[in-house]
Amino acid sequence: MAAIIRRIGCRAISNFAAKNVVAPKAVGAIRLSSTTPAPPAEDKPTFRKPNEAARLNLSNFGRYVAECLPKYVQKVQLTAGDELEVLIAPEGVVPVLQFLKDNHLAQFSNLVDIAGMDVPSRQYRFEVIYNLLSLRFNSRIRVKTYTDELTPLDSCNEVFKAANWYEREIWDMYGVFFANHPDLRRILTDYGFEGHPQRRDFPLSGYVELRYDDEKKRVVCEPLELAQEFRKFDLSAPWEQFPNFRNANPPAETVETKQETPKK
Amino acid sequence: MASKLTTGLTGLVVASNPHHTLSALYGKILRALTKMPQDASYRKYTEKVVQNRLKAVEAHKDVTTLEKEIACGQVEELIVQAENELILARKMLGWKPWESLLKPAPQKQWNWPPAKIDEPMI
Repeated sequence: MAAIIRRIGCRAISNFAAKNVVAPKAVGAIRLSSTTPAPPAEDKPTFRKPNEAARLNLSNFGRYVAECLPKYVQKVQLTAGDELEVLIAPEGVVPVLQFLKDNHLAQFSNLVDIAGMDVPSRQYRFEVIYNLLSLRFNSRIRVKTYTDELTPLDSCNEVFKAANWYEREIWDMYGVFFANHPDLRRILTDYGFEGHPQRRDFPLSGYVELRYDDEKKRVVCEPLELAQEFRKFDLSAPWEQFPNFRNANPPAETVETKQETPKK
Repeated sequence: MASKLTTGLTGLVVASNPHHTLSALYGKILRALTKMPQDASYRKYTEKVVQNRLKAVEAHKDVTTLEKEIACGQVEELIVQAENELILARKMLGWKPWESLLKPAPQKQWNWPPAKIDEPMI
């Protein structure tokens, strides 16, 4: 009896195996009939692709800001795919930041950082960059403005209390003066330091050096003696360095804003 | 009796009469906005938002349904937002940001990279 059951079982298994062998053949036939290979889905999987919906939202918000504050906003752009930047005239720092902080549709209540940048070849060599974060709408925005060595910017300390130390840092590193700041002092450099170390024309070694004087038995501060003469290096090459990146993506895409017709 | 014991947010106490506070604040904002020119975009957008919220405040007497209707946080947060908007609207009257651009950016101010090579050097 047990033997019969075993035989039936074997037959069932062999039947099943036969069916299984037939089925893949059919699939293979279908595969062979399609001649064009499927296009590769992703050629650079390590690239972070910006979300189209987020980009649309950001550019719409940029247009909204430009429309509400046509007096100050010079340009709105998206950088690195999905980072919104609002470029403003230096007079509009306080109004623009106050608008972004207090408006119902913006609510950028956190000042993440203030950064500086020095480009000596420009007419206004310093750029001051405000990074804001809106926890309500989970988004970030960057506000940029410009100034030079002599023109003061308005301090945004009354809008964001966090700006106090950031503006002191900018003053220390770049020498950008902030008007109406309650406490504009050095913050990172030492007592008695002269100059602004993040400027492009500040030498890497600084102007003075501290050393221990064995005769005077104390630390002395002296003007730096450079070991060799100042040399000018001509680093430009006759060939093009990065021909593959000649037609690279532009670093920023401008968001078209409706230009307001002048009134009054 | 307040409808909830706490807002769960540090420093934000439960509002005792949120409907009254909100409608008063929204009224003040709308009155400040009427002093702006008719075609100022800030005025148009803010009026739209504030009037929608005012309508919701009048329609829903229950705090929870009001919060769900506006969907921008608890009523206490809505009060903070309205206070901020009121301060902003009053400051805007002095700044007049609806006027045309103060001054255009200098040529090539926003160009990046600053020394970009447009054509390959030969």
